[in-house]
Amino acid sequence: MAASVPELLPYAKIREDLFRPLSSGSSRYWITVFAALAVVVLGMAAWGIQVRDGMGVTGLNRPVFWGFYIVDFVFWIGISHAGTLISAILRLTDAAWRKPVTRAAEAITVFCLMIGGMFPIIHLGRSWLFFWLIPYPNPRMLWPNFRSPLLWDLVAILTYVTGSVIYLYLPLIPDMAQLAEHNVPWRRKLYRILSLGWTGSDREWHALERAMKLMACIILAVAVSVHTVVSWDFAMSIAPMWHSTIFGPYFVSGAIFSGIAALLLVLGILRRALGLELYLTKHHFDNLSKLLLLMSLLWFYFTFAEYQTVWYGNEPSEMAVFAGRIRGLYAPYFWIMVVCNFVVPFVLLGIRKLRTISTAMISSVCVIIGMWLERYIIVVPTLGNPRMNTASGVYTATWIEFAITAATFAGMIVLYLLFSKLFPIIAVWEFKPHAVEED
Amino acid sequence: MSIDLDRCTGCEACVVACHAENNLPVSSPDQAEKGRTAHWIRVDRYYEGEFPDVKVKYRPVLCQQCDNAPCEPVCPTYATYHNAEGLNVQVYNRCVGTFYCANNCPYSVRFFNWFAPEWPEPLQLQHNPDVAIRPAGVMEKCTFCVQRIQRGKRDAVVENRPLADGEIQPACVQSCPAEAMVFGDLNDPESRVSKLAGSGRSTQLLGELGTKPKVFYLERAK
Amino acid sequence: MYLIADFREQPKLEAAILALKAAGITADDMDVFSEEPVELRRGILDRPSRMSLVSVLGAIATGGLATVGLYAAQQSYRLVTGGMPIFSFWGTGVISYEATMLGAVLATFGWFLWESGLLRKRDKNIPVPTVLPGVMCLRVRCFDPHVTRARQILDSAGATDIARKEVA
Repeated sequence: MAASVPELLPYAKIREDLFRPLSSGSSRYWITVFAALAVVVLGMAAWGIQVRDGMGVTGLNRPVFWGFYIVDFVFWIGISHAGTLISAILRLTDAAWRKPVTRAAEAITVFCLMIGGMFPIIHLGRSWLFFWLIPYPNPRMLWPNFRSPLLWDLVAILTYVTGSVIYLYLPLIPDMAQLAEHNVPWRRKLYRILSLGWTGSDREWHALERAMKLMACIILAVAVSVHTVVSWDFAMSIAPMWHSTIFGPYFVSGAIFSGIAALLLVLGILRRALGLELYLTKHHFDNLSKLLLLMSLLWFYFTFAEYQTVWYGNEPSEMAVFAGRIRGLYAPYFWIMVVCNFVVPFVLLGIRKLRTISTAMISSVCVIIGMWLERYIIVVPTLGNPRMNTASGVYTATWIEFAITAATFAGMIVLYLLFSKLFPIIAVWEFKPHAVEED
Repeated sequence: MSIDLDRCTGCEACVVACHAENNLPVSSPDQAEKGRTAHWIRVDRYYEGEFPDVKVKYRPVLCQQCDNAPCEPVCPTYATYHNAEGLNVQVYNRCVGTFYCANNCPYSVRFFNWFAPEWPEPLQLQHNPDVAIRPAGVMEKCTFCVQRIQRGKRDAVVENRPLADGEIQPACVQSCPAEAMVFGDLNDPESRVSKLAGSGRSTQLLGELGTKPKVFYLERAK
Repeated sequence: MYLIADFREQPKLEAAILALKAAGITADDMDVFSEEPVELRRGILDRPSRMSLVSVLGAIATGGLATVGLYAAQQSYRLVTGGMPIFSFWGTGVISYEATMLGAVLATFGWFLWESGLLRKRDKNIPVPTVLPGVMCLRVRCFDPHVTRARQILDSAGATDIARKEVA
């Protein structure tokens, strides 16, 4: 039996391995969940303080009106592009190695969007009135301003969330049907409802495959537009070094970059935690590492092009921001970002001998840190160096912003852990595409 | 509005008058250090030369009420828009605090209410009843003393006469000891402000951005 | 009356289906149940689908509706912002685009639920075979004169375990 090719393992073993995490729950698991929940509660308390006392409890000021929250927003929406790339593009190109990876990726997308979508509410001065951005008929006959990029954000993210949830749910249906014979009563009921009465007939399979192929194309189109629209929050303004045409492609490629890093990290952890060494092999991590390296090179290209054109143009208000980023106050963050995003992946993943699962995970962590710093470098120095330099200022985040940021990471952990306990993290039916004879 | 930079002495009477007229909250040294003061009109100082040949230039900067205001299209709730009179209005009730308008203003003339406003006793007795007190979480900026504009227009209607040029004066214009500021109707070619705006000394701050500001700075051409 | 036959090899299943079609049983009366999707060769058991068309139509409809809605909203609330025209397609085109995509998503999902039969009222009397891993179940609906012929075909094609279920 060729254990190196998991598809050839006996079907019963595959099902057992992939369904086992759903029933077993170690104490390590529950401790992690509760610790993460504690951090989430702390973050929510911090937000409560902010709502009660006003935005002054953050480090925001004039002129730096956008800080951690917007950085986090762009960061999380960016990571959500993991699922789209892996699932959609690899499905469309029919790359076989994507099979154990798709559901984990799609789950990342949905949860990151849910978390990232909280920030447009959290960062508001009057958060409780966020619903005024939603166009609904009201007695005052007021409409929101559809020309504002923030409205574009709203529509884009809503569309992406809807599409991603459906895209996650569709391939889940057959697995739900298989799990509907589960032994715990409440799970049985849950799975039966979610399986929508799936019987496995060829009509259903045909419809499902057609739907998934269509959804892959659509979700790809949506994902590209979503992060472009998020980037246009900055590019549509006339602030120096924001008003740049490169932002659309820059942000989309940066999003895919951070998304792959997150996916790599999550898969590496899942592999160890759920005992999936047979299914998530070195081959998968090798391919993901190569993709990460490719996106790192692309990121470097875009960043270099952006800074080169600003430097050569030598326009005073832009050069003030440029100097701040490269040599000034923000220089440490800038150069750490370059090391994390480019140097580390280039060395660890570019040199074949160094490319292992562990170095891939180290690179992923570096990239995630680097991409968070990249968003920070984009948002804060521009605002800190406005055109009227009598108004320049410095931003120092407070514990409130740190707490809320930490809470989002913890929230992601909680959501993902709960998901892996309720649903198989690898799509069983996709894993074995052809009916194989049982021995 | 036109501001004669050759007359401005940098005394900041305009700043104080604006505070008094528009119920601007008083900041604390702590908050000021964090960059949270609000001065709807501020006087920027530019130093040229080395001691003892130092020259200081003063430029009062307030909301330029741009015709192509960059702050207007980006507000998702229409809390700031251009009214029929050409004013860039700020509707406090509609602001949810997205901060986008402030980021897009190239003149940095927008201010946020970081906390509920406070005044040390007995300053709260001095409030202008014609001007709203802004709650926490709302953006604010110079309104060209819209309450005085409304009062002036109403008085003219009640007394059944046309508005005279120079009758309405925002607090800053009224308080300037050097009479450097002139306020009026730019649509009226005979008004004093139109004549000054059309003069050879008239410039615009950051005019090259295409914002079409309605504040004209008069300065000697170099 | 339903015949349910288990197959373990795909070529045999395909041969059986072709033989049944030659004997006069239509594709509508045949269903294949399996735990993974079975890729039958083209022409054997094709299911025509309108999903792409529905998706495109849904996209166009929602996108058009959104654009019209935007126009109506902007016109009813004519506030000038920054010198921009009251309605400009470029100012709100992103929203039209996203609405188009949302329409495609919802239309695809909705049509999937319909076309797969998941959303349709199921006739509880029709037997649904429980599928074991690695097994492909062929369910054939046939009436009395054809039953024996069908059984013969299934047998000679190499089916294991042919069951006969009456509709209650």
